[in-house]
Amino acid sequence: MTQTNTVEEIVSQPYKYGFITEIETEKIPKGLNEDVIRLISKKKNEPDFLLKFRLRAYEQWLKMEEPDWSGLTYSKVDYQDLVYYAAPKQDIKKKSLDEVDPKLLETFEKLGIPLSEQKRLSNVAVDAVFDSVSIATTYKEKLAEHGVIFCSISEAVSEYPDLIEKYMGTVVPINDNFFAALNSAVFSDGSFVFIPKGVECPMELSSYFRINSGDTGQFERTLIIAEESSSVSYLEGCTAPMFDTNTLHAAVVELVALDNASIKYSTVQNWYAGNEEGVGGIYNFVTKRGECRGKKSKISWSQVETGSAITWKYPSCVLQGDNSIGEFYSIALTNNLQKADTGTKMIHIGKNTKSKIVSKGISAGQSKNSYRGLVSISPNAEGSRNYSQCDSMLIGDQASANTYPYIQSKQPQSNIEHEASTCRISEDQLFYLQSRGIDFEECVSMLISGFCSDVFNELPMEFASEADKLLALKLEGSVG
Amino acid sequence: MKSSTICQKWLKSLPPTQGYLKKEQSIGREFLLQQGMPTKKDEAWRLSNLNRLNSFLSLPTIIDSEDIKSNFTYTFPKKDENRERIIINPSKNPILDINLPNGIEKLNNREIEENLGKIVKSSNVKNDFSVSLNQASSPEILALKIKQNLNQSLEIVIPSIEGKSISTRIFLLIEEGAKLDLLQIFLGNNNSAQNHLIEIKLESKVELTHGLISLGEDKESSSICTLAVEQLEKSKYSLHSIHHGWDYARFEPRIIQSKGDASTIIKGLQVTKSKEQIATHSLIRFEGPNGKLDQLQKAVASEYSHCIFNGSIAVPQKAQKTEAAQLSRNLLLSKRARIDSKPELEIVADDVTCTHGATVSQLQEEELFYLLSRGIDNEHANSLLLKGYYDEVISNFPKSARKWNFIEKVIPNIKK
Amino acid sequence: MISSTSETILSIKDLHASVEDQEILHGVNLSVKEGEIHAIMGRNGSGKSTLSKVIAGHPSYKVLSGSIQFKGTNILELEPEERARIGIFLGFQYPVEIPGVNNLEFLRVATNSRRKELLKSELDTFEFEDLVKERLKIVEMDPAFLERSVNEGFSGGEKKRNEILQMALLEPVISILDETDSGLDIDALRIVASGINKLSQPNSATILITHYQRLLNEITPDFVHIMADGKIIKTGNNELAIDLEKSGYDFIGKNTKDKETAK
Repeated sequence: MTQTNTVEEIVSQPYKYGFITEIETEKIPKGLNEDVIRLISKKKNEPDFLLKFRLRAYEQWLKMEEPDWSGLTYSKVDYQDLVYYAAPKQDIKKKSLDEVDPKLLETFEKLGIPLSEQKRLSNVAVDAVFDSVSIATTYKEKLAEHGVIFCSISEAVSEYPDLIEKYMGTVVPINDNFFAALNSAVFSDGSFVFIPKGVECPMELSSYFRINSGDTGQFERTLIIAEESSSVSYLEGCTAPMFDTNTLHAAVVELVALDNASIKYSTVQNWYAGNEEGVGGIYNFVTKRGECRGKKSKISWSQVETGSAITWKYPSCVLQGDNSIGEFYSIALTNNLQKADTGTKMIHIGKNTKSKIVSKGISAGQSKNSYRGLVSISPNAEGSRNYSQCDSMLIGDQASANTYPYIQSKQPQSNIEHEASTCRISEDQLFYLQSRGIDFEECVSMLISGFCSDVFNELPMEFASEADKLLALKLEGSVG
Repeated sequence: MKSSTICQKWLKSLPPTQGYLKKEQSIGREFLLQQGMPTKKDEAWRLSNLNRLNSFLSLPTIIDSEDIKSNFTYTFPKKDENRERIIINPSKNPILDINLPNGIEKLNNREIEENLGKIVKSSNVKNDFSVSLNQASSPEILALKIKQNLNQSLEIVIPSIEGKSISTRIFLLIEEGAKLDLLQIFLGNNNSAQNHLIEIKLESKVELTHGLISLGEDKESSSICTLAVEQLEKSKYSLHSIHHGWDYARFEPRIIQSKGDASTIIKGLQVTKSKEQIATHSLIRFEGPNGKLDQLQKAVASEYSHCIFNGSIAVPQKAQKTEAAQLSRNLLLSKRARIDSKPELEIVADDVTCTHGATVSQLQEEELFYLLSRGIDNEHANSLLLKGYYDEVISNFPKSARKWNFIEKVIPNIKK
Repeated sequence: MISSTSETILSIKDLHASVEDQEILHGVNLSVKEGEIHAIMGRNGSGKSTLSKVIAGHPSYKVLSGSIQFKGTNILELEPEERARIGIFLGFQYPVEIPGVNNLEFLRVATNSRRKELLKSELDTFEFEDLVKERLKIVEMDPAFLERSVNEGFSGGEKKRNEILQMALLEPVISILDETDSGLDIDALRIVASGINKLSQPNSATILITHYQRLLNEITPDFVHIMADGKIIKTGNNELAIDLEKSGYDFIGKNTKDKETAK
């Protein structure tokens, strides 16, 4: 049908962030062994406990097998053919932005993330990560006035080793899974956030990840701690140049929320997805988990996933504290030969814990878009509730939408409710909008945007528009 | 004993492959020799209580006439006038015992050879232990052809034998345009195991109403039933099943609409108590356009028991305009009981309507309160609400099926 | 209002159209001039709704032969949105619900695409809000409906008012209102009818598709056409509608049958 083809064209926007920054890079030789791990740790001047942490993880990783459970076929990664540390050549981290290589500033500006004082976003603090290192963090001083720590994980290791030692690896244990173990052994950089007791973070925090080298694996690590009665909203964005080879991105994100604390974590993921024939693109194998350790704490994940050749990602909530809340809002758009297998785990342990899952998958081309989730209610989680809604939209008859919502309950005084549906763009809705004089293309955008509106409403205002653009939705003001 | 040892020992204990099922027996035995028992690593068996599977192999499978005598003293309810009853005696060719009514014929060996095993094979299940177990050990088969001129209903009763493990196999070919009302009853017994492999082929324009009452009656009874159904175009298949009272039961309905354009209705109920585990693993696949599915699976778990539902629906590209709805509704009535519900929807066609829902809850407090406030005692009120909950499934059984007393069995046993 | 110099807005000639390979319209002829109000009546299945969908360009309906001209130009090649922009408005019998798409935003985008065609400036959010609030009065609609998703959860009457609101905003040249009266109570019917009356202009025209006489008590048509079996079988003035109310469709049906047997 011609109409379907046109809908397909509309969702196939060219990748705009595929350029490469020409910059001198310091790389360590390819390959992975104990010496490489020692070298990374030494380059980063790490304390002994962290080196031991890495080595323990490496030892575990060697014993583990690469998973192939989700039925996806992909050319396996040769772990000895990857570079585990790459950094733009410059001395240890600069004190001020003036000293940062202008090419790097230019790169981020091109990506829509200006870092210089004159141009930077007014209400968002940004940590910019280029390949393996964080090159700049804005508004640090202003945040420090409130006691908020926002810096690269490397900096946190040297400045706040106690916090790192206390929390790192406690949410995602080093042997959690194959890729988490690998990350724990070789992680390079990432962001660290600490919100002290009673503080409401005065601005949005954001990290922007950029892969530039083709043969470098990216293993960033993010740790966010919200102490009692504090709150923070954090966003990450990701892009990469276009290479024919597949680049591995295996991040670990850990969130800890204590009593009455709340963390909102949003992701706009737009890694390079490979070309129309499925050549190249990022393997995005990420472990993200938050623990609501305290009573009445809340962790909310929202994500807009449009990039990567393959995504395996299940941002999860462990609801330990009584009355804690977990949320997951997701939009995943796949096209061509992309494969996204994403969802969440909501583990109810404390009493009266609540969780909500809203997932919207849009698959076009020959892509495969799967929602995979687990809602588990333990015997002690009396009074707990879950509500899940998973909707899939199919564009064209070659795309697939799979739903695997797994439910497990051991507590009679609890409720789980799950709904799922599959649809395509309705001809009647399309005609209705067209018959009011609206462009076909705009109608499609409106309908996709409408399909996703539950999730858009959860994104921080500042980024809703970026997400909107990502989905090639041209309608102004329909979100936020 | 290790499960692999049990498996090998059991294979050795079987009589040599023989008769017209010889080929099937070799296939099943070869598989078990290679694969052994399922493990926790097999996704389809991950939640199963694997220890209880052992009884299928450790109980003796050779049945002599003494066993039959003591067992077949069962007094079954009186048979319906208009319903032909077949009682399956696992050591005998079941055809010998019955006078086939007009419209039912025995399949000849050639027809059996042409059709047998094909449907179950096309269900394409990996590491198919349930089927292999049956193939390896079934000595006989009930293979019937249902013709358009049939005006009788059919009832097939399969009782277990105390202290034994039995395997039975059934093949029904329902010819174009025929209508059949089929009622099947599985009955458990002390320390017994039964496994069944049923294949049914619905030719075009066939209407089959299939009631399945599966009642494990005594201690340590187990049952595995694989039901493979192929539906040709314009056929209508409705399956109504109740599973209750088994220490371990596993029901695997697999329905293939091989040309699409057929209608499938499934209403299943499983009720567990004490330490029972009952699992339904359903698979519905549409191999052509315009298929319809309406599936409702209800489960109620009390005391220490465990109910499992795993429901797979596959809508490949060639199955445009499929309409499929699946709903899994579960009641968890005790703190020690457990419910697992695992739907799997795989869709590669854009012009389809597929919906799915799952809930786990307890009886509604407001409803209960309403009944209590009208002076009904707690136990009664619970029974009434449960009865209401079951009704969506139970009401589909023919009235005459009530004489198997399944309603009475399913309701008083519920404790909070 | 009607004069001999009035321009013809819509001219349909020997229109045959099908849906799902079944021919529904078997040669419709209709001519509508500026300032005219036409009513098309007929039984369920007579082809009334099909005619309206074909004029608006619904992709499921195929034109087999014949022509539709709007102000002298052929519109059969135009996309539905192009037809809307030049001033053809279809009020739906069953307006579809579009969850997630904000009603106000939808109205603004639609209004601006029509304004662009008319070479009028596009309205920003604030200007549009002023306009829409003024037009809301015509249909006595609660502004709260603007904040909801398009038609989602609206009652039957609310949906029809939302249709007339769109008509008020788009200022069409010809409005085809398909069973706008169905499912309305007396009060809602009056509001909708008075809205239609207020919106009619000397240089525009209206086609009311209806089943019953009651809408025509509120809006007096200049012409009444009776449709049966995919054709207009009788045309008259308002008297015809009143006759129809008295004697029912059987009377007309008989007449046609007689005619056919006479052939």
